[in-house]
Amino acid sequence: MSRIHLLSPRLANQIAAGEVVERPANIVKELVENALDAGATRIEIDAEQGGVKLLRIRDDGHGIEHDDLPLALSRHATSKITTLDDLEAVASLGFRGEALASISSVTRLTLTSRAQGAEDAWSVHAEGRDMAASVAPAAHPVGTTLEVRDLFFNTPARRKFLRTEKTEFSHLEETVKRLALSRYDVAFSLRHNGRVIHQLRSAERTIDREKRVASLLNKDFIDSAVHIDAEAVGLQLQGWVGLPTFSRSQADMQYFFVNGRVVRDKLVVHAIKQAYRDVLYHGRHPAFVLYLWLDPKLVDVNVHPTKHEVRFRDGRLVHDFLFRTLHKALGDVRPDDRLAGSTPATLVPQTAPLSGVQAGEFQEQARLDWQAQAVQENAGSYQPAFNAVPQQGAVSAQLDGLRSLSQPLDVAPWGQEVRQGQPQPLPQTPSADMPPLGYAIAQLHGIYILAQNAQGMVVVDMHAAHERITYERLKIAVDQQGVQSQPLLVPVTLAVSEREADAAEQFADEFRLLGVELARVAPESVVVRQIPVLLQQAEVPRLITDMLGDLLEHGTSDRILAHRNELLGTMACHGSVRANRKLSIPEMNALLRDMEATERSGQCNHGRPTWTQLTMGELDKLFLRGR
Amino acid sequence: MKFVISREALLRPLQLVAGVVEKRQTLPVLSNVLLEVQGQQLSLTGTDLEVELVGRVTLDEVGQEGEITVPAKKLMDICRSLPDGAQIEIEQDEQRVNVRSGRSRFTLSTLPATEFPNVDNIAGEKTFTLEQGSLRRVIDRTSFAMAQQDVRYYLNGMLFEVSATGLRTVSTDGHRLATCHVAMNGPDTAQQIILPRKGVLEMAKLLTDPESSVTLSLSTNHLRARTENFTFTSKLVDGKFPDYSRVIPKNGSNVMLADRTELRQVFNRTAILSNEKYRGVRLVLDTDLLKVFANNPEQEEAEESVAVEYKGDALEMGFNVSYLQDVMSVLDTQQVKMTLSDANSSALLEEPEGGDAMYVVMPMRL
Repeated sequence: MSRIHLLSPRLANQIAAGEVVERPANIVKELVENALDAGATRIEIDAEQGGVKLLRIRDDGHGIEHDDLPLALSRHATSKITTLDDLEAVASLGFRGEALASISSVTRLTLTSRAQGAEDAWSVHAEGRDMAASVAPAAHPVGTTLEVRDLFFNTPARRKFLRTEKTEFSHLEETVKRLALSRYDVAFSLRHNGRVIHQLRSAERTIDREKRVASLLNKDFIDSAVHIDAEAVGLQLQGWVGLPTFSRSQADMQYFFVNGRVVRDKLVVHAIKQAYRDVLYHGRHPAFVLYLWLDPKLVDVNVHPTKHEVRFRDGRLVHDFLFRTLHKALGDVRPDDRLAGSTPATLVPQTAPLSGVQAGEFQEQARLDWQAQAVQENAGSYQPAFNAVPQQGAVSAQLDGLRSLSQPLDVAPWGQEVRQGQPQPLPQTPSADMPPLGYAIAQLHGIYILAQNAQGMVVVDMHAAHERITYERLKIAVDQQGVQSQPLLVPVTLAVSEREADAAEQFADEFRLLGVELARVAPESVVVRQIPVLLQQAEVPRLITDMLGDLLEHGTSDRILAHRNELLGTMACHGSVRANRKLSIPEMNALLRDMEATERSGQCNHGRPTWTQLTMGELDKLFLRGR
Repeated sequence: MKFVISREALLRPLQLVAGVVEKRQTLPVLSNVLLEVQGQQLSLTGTDLEVELVGRVTLDEVGQEGEITVPAKKLMDICRSLPDGAQIEIEQDEQRVNVRSGRSRFTLSTLPATEFPNVDNIAGEKTFTLEQGSLRRVIDRTSFAMAQQDVRYYLNGMLFEVSATGLRTVSTDGHRLATCHVAMNGPDTAQQIILPRKGVLEMAKLLTDPESSVTLSLSTNHLRARTENFTFTSKLVDGKFPDYSRVIPKNGSNVMLADRTELRQVFNRTAILSNEKYRGVRLVLDTDLLKVFANNPEQEEAEESVAVEYKGDALEMGFNVSYLQDVMSVLDTQQVKMTLSDANSSALLEEPEGGDAMYVVMPMRL
């Protein structure tokens, strides 16, 4: 029989490292978080062979005092918290005091640091079974450098689980991305095998921040994102959410930060998913970079060693705040927002979403524009695409010309003129008042509406657009009526688990608000006595068990709403104009105006886009004009 | 097999039999009708494995005996489009059937009669006879309340309750209930069966002659109705029907008497402006006056006042107007009686003197 004995410090640390250090990316996360907690404004990360061979992280933070250096590498030693009360309201990223000890137990780690105000720099590394720290003088500016070599050199079993250099580096890069997104005031640089991968300057202004997001994620994302800045009940939400049209096939472009800490939380994901419901195409995932700020006391980060999970003290409040804010932000998107101010001056960024190459090309030319007069001469008609002033003139001249072709807006003759295929007049409005979606010109194959606006051509899928408009109207109408419920003549008895039956009792009030009346008749069965009128034809047992599941999981259930919206969606689909319905010009114009006024009109209720813009610049490109 | 028959004699049973045949079939033989000649008798059989209908016609002259199945829909369409009074000759020719009439000739594909499914023999029968008119009445007065494709499969049908004194039908979709009773000499032991929706509707079509009788046979899993010209067999729904007697309100104290036609028109008019999906209307009752209100999401409103006989408490309650309309159109008396207790309890509608039918409608919370 083996005897009980104390583990050696190194072994204990190696075991602890198992929780924290799995691959180079984890080390980067821990060390960069330390640098951030030390108040660094510039962080440089050097990696070799995916970070397995070498990781060097250098910051200009406040450094570590000479006397503290040996302690820094030992376990449960930290400067970040001192009492339990501090733990209750953790404001720093780290606090467990385990990272350096764990990392140094599985790598060859050297820490070099010069504290603020100190004259010399010192370096320290841990060695031997007891991890005794040895301190030596070194040369270093104020700040700290950590050199981590040969990951898992002493734990071959774990080394075997490392992937290829490329995979490890992509994980590492992802970690750096998250950290860089969490702190705009800090400059980051990331080099791999001597090559610069990311070079990010500190960004104070929103436009610089957007640049950072664009360079870290995807230019298209920031171009089709809505900026969010909302505050209520002590919660603040900032960041960007991608428009439903910019959706991903995987949930990979989702960054959520709670008090600057990146988290993946079920509650958060659920709230966001709910906000995107009925605008996102089936099976697609939204993209977002969001920052939630709240009193540190209201969130517990000490849930998991990697701190990816958090616990909110009032989860329901956070959920509702997220949902409401995002739902409103997405609902408020109008066509003119997508046209970015709808002034021709913004044409250049407008074309960007089409392709990175094109966008780059365009921007180059915009810059050149001011240098060379000769270019302008050559460019001729191409010029309006990137020069603001002449473009404005060109559009209004064009509109004036069209307007002069016939008398002002008169409903009756319009429809006839379409059929005769004559050029269409535009209504008597100054071009400055041109609505975002412009005026209809014609109908294409009975499916699409062609319209002209200040930027160029707008193509509208008329069924999809009308479907959304009808759907939103139905939703508003139903909301106004309030919940109407129908008691059942023959109540439905459901067999449920005891836990679900408990939930039915616990959430009885929520159910009643939704128009459902439940009663428990046995430990494992509930009886439904009343359901909302709109759901009379619904499959009651499944709906109720799904709702109970939701309530147990998230504390709220939107099944009734979802089901209701599904019904309204079907009604809207049947109540909308179908393809091949001939529309007259006034009808089409009315539809365009409705779209401008309707929430979420950019997508039909299945998440398909309802309209698209072809700018004059893009059209010119098709015909090689001005080349 | 060979026989000659007039178009009219063939068409009526053929149409009824073809009604049983489902349009889309996975089993090809089920879209066929079985033709069988025995002496002077021609019988036609159609089935969807749940309901089977056999129609019998007497031929003017003895045909050549035999049996074969042909596509039901096509044979029916051919007969229907032939001129009135045409004589049709049907003859089997190996794998084909030739249909001749005047100068028209059709060749139909066949499937052997042996492939045609037989409904199992009925065991442990209870048999009783009543007039076709009575059976038709109890079905017609209740069938509208049957559920359609409800997950509670036993509601997608009609309850037949036979006892020594009579037959009662009950149907409900969970929101409203209809029941009707007819007196007859039934079997000694009472029995409850649920006839599926399709069986109810098809059986009602056969009961065209109110005077003549129909014989019903019940077993544990089948019901068979036999008239002079037809034998109808249906499988039963195996389930437990809700206890209707508990649903019928017993102690309603507020009784309203109204003219049925007038009330029906009032409901029809207010229904126009009720919410398309909810179909809710508000009934406000005061002494001798009924007001009906409806409004829809577009904020359009309807208001109707009807003079009624009412001495009870002032009441305000919501109803699904479709349920009320259904009851109004199925009743046939001059007046209708509505018994209520309060705004949250179900309402009982019936003929003023009670009558044989009762309708229960659940109110809505508006």
